[in-house]
Amino acid sequence: MFNKTAIAASVTLMSIATAHAEGPYRIGITQNNVGVDSYQTTYESAFEAAAEREGNVDVVVLDAGGDVARQIGQMQDLIQQRVDAIIIWPTNGQAVIPAIRQAHSAGIPVIVTNSKIAEAGMEFIAAFSGPDNVQQGISSAEMMCDALGGEGQIVQISGQPGYTTAMERAGGFEDRLAEACPGVELLETQPGNWNRERAQRVMEDFLTKYDHIDGVYSGDDNMGVGALNAAKGAGRADGIIFIGATNFAVGYDAIARGEYYGSIYQSPVDDAEAALQTALDVLAGEDLPKMNFFDTPKITAENLEEFDRPVF
Amino acid sequence: MASTEQTKVVVPLGKLSKAGVLSFLSAQGILIFFLIGMFVFSFFSEQFLSQSNIMTVVRQASIIGIIAVGVTVVIIGGNLDLSVGSMLSFSTVLVVDLHDKIGPTNAILLMFALTLMIGAVNGFLIGFLRLNSLIVTLAMLSAIQGFVLIYSGGQNVDIANQENTWFAFFGRGFVGGIAVPVLMFGLLAILIQVVMSYTGYGRRIFAVGGNPMAAVYSGIRKNWCVFSTYLISAFCVACAALVLGSRVMGSQNNVGQGYELLVLAGIILGGTSLLGGAGSIWKTVIGVLILGFIQNGLLLMGYPYYIQWIVTWVIIILAVWLDLANKRKRLFTSHS
Repeated sequence: MFNKTAIAASVTLMSIATAHAEGPYRIGITQNNVGVDSYQTTYESAFEAAAEREGNVDVVVLDAGGDVARQIGQMQDLIQQRVDAIIIWPTNGQAVIPAIRQAHSAGIPVIVTNSKIAEAGMEFIAAFSGPDNVQQGISSAEMMCDALGGEGQIVQISGQPGYTTAMERAGGFEDRLAEACPGVELLETQPGNWNRERAQRVMEDFLTKYDHIDGVYSGDDNMGVGALNAAKGAGRADGIIFIGATNFAVGYDAIARGEYYGSIYQSPVDDAEAALQTALDVLAGEDLPKMNFFDTPKITAENLEEFDRPVF
Repeated sequence: MASTEQTKVVVPLGKLSKAGVLSFLSAQGILIFFLIGMFVFSFFSEQFLSQSNIMTVVRQASIIGIIAVGVTVVIIGGNLDLSVGSMLSFSTVLVVDLHDKIGPTNAILLMFALTLMIGAVNGFLIGFLRLNSLIVTLAMLSAIQGFVLIYSGGQNVDIANQENTWFAFFGRGFVGGIAVPVLMFGLLAILIQVVMSYTGYGRRIFAVGGNPMAAVYSGIRKNWCVFSTYLISAFCVACAALVLGSRVMGSQNNVGQGYELLVLAGIILGGTSLLGGAGSIWKTVIGVLILGFIQNGLLLMGYPYYIQWIVTWVIIILAVWLDLANKRKRLFTSHS
């Protein structure tokens, strides 16, 4: 009895002391497609672990399985359950807006994580938390420029067509490259669909088509390693600079072996923790910017040791 | 009397010449398309007909080709197999994941055993329980995809030490200047073509696919025949998984997604009828190569790969149309 009273008292005291300790909060999350790739799988476990550590947060974890209709249904379920905040990893930046607006009208703050939604929906969300993919493209372009010394011919293997992340990275890369490095010519871009085997095939065709390739920019390391495989198979890997994004374990190892120039370190753990923290900040009534980007630094052989080997 | 005889003579003649053109087109149309396509591609890209490009295309086509050889047998037997794409994902993830855990030899053996087991389940449901092959293999497509996700937990799998494993032989090796995937594709195609053409077993598969009732009445054990075609298909998928896993030295759970359609596209392009009882492995080999050259040619010309889907399927519809037109001896139906 004494214990219970003591705990209750201390909880009351804490809630007066800091806004954070208010709660417990119930936060619902509807994810895009857990299990489809390593990144999302790691994100989910990291999110749950972060909520566990937070203590005063109760999470409802849902997964849309890549299906927009299911995600909208999950949004409505979460609204019905009157959770305190909803985090959504949009399956589609356009189609989920009506559901986000519903939550907004019901007074439930919505935090969009990882992938952006269309401009039309921005007024209904409390905040966005995720990587800045345009900036990642820019950083990759700068690395490419440095590695080539401002001269050369390169090809690009982009992600899934129509996928925001793919378009933003490609856009950031192309714009920055043209601006910072007019001496580097982008010969051609082909999609590799985030798939290593397809990227490998695309690269084989590039190697046939172009006798001279100085660099390859891939939308993620999974595809980048496919491109590296192809170049090694053709005996041309030595003369080519490989740069990727979303550093994967295979990319990390390839950098360590000196076969791969660099990548962008984007941790799903940081992504998940940033999403939860953004939600908590929103609930605490803190004044947040709309766009909250977590840091995704460049990674090359020089600073490799500062980073843990990615778990995916 | 004389007039009727006259019409009897005239009409078949008229039909014959028309049918002659049609059957020539349907028999050779694909090859003609192929040659025109090669010409156009080589006009736009000087690398297209280079030896290294041709070797690249054949090497890339060999994974689809190895699977298509097995699925052709299933189709000749009068059934379909849509589960091969998922099976490829499953088998590739399995062999790559187990490579570092239990060693390459054990990994390959276990992968073959489990892949054949899936084939046996398909074969049992379709051969013995007589369930519709389209539905069974479509269900299997989803179910296996689920298994892969459970097994991998969505994580990519990789072989840690890529440089020092003889496992690299299957996807990256060369024997006498010929890439091992191409060699496997060629050997499997020859082996299965010989089995289908020159053995009693092959003839029984044709009989079962062409006229199942007659086959049963003539004492063929149809159940076993159908069952066995799914084992052949699964065996070919396992071989393809060996090549794919070794080529990429890693795998992800959706790696084979969509392969079932590419495989079917290659088979249909070659001219094997989806109705069963007819077709050949050679046709499939040609179909798969045409598919590979279309994809490569369009890419060399700088088109994004989804243009390939459109072009490929236009050509497939044309091929199916010509095939049907040949059967009914005219291009269009006479009545609605």
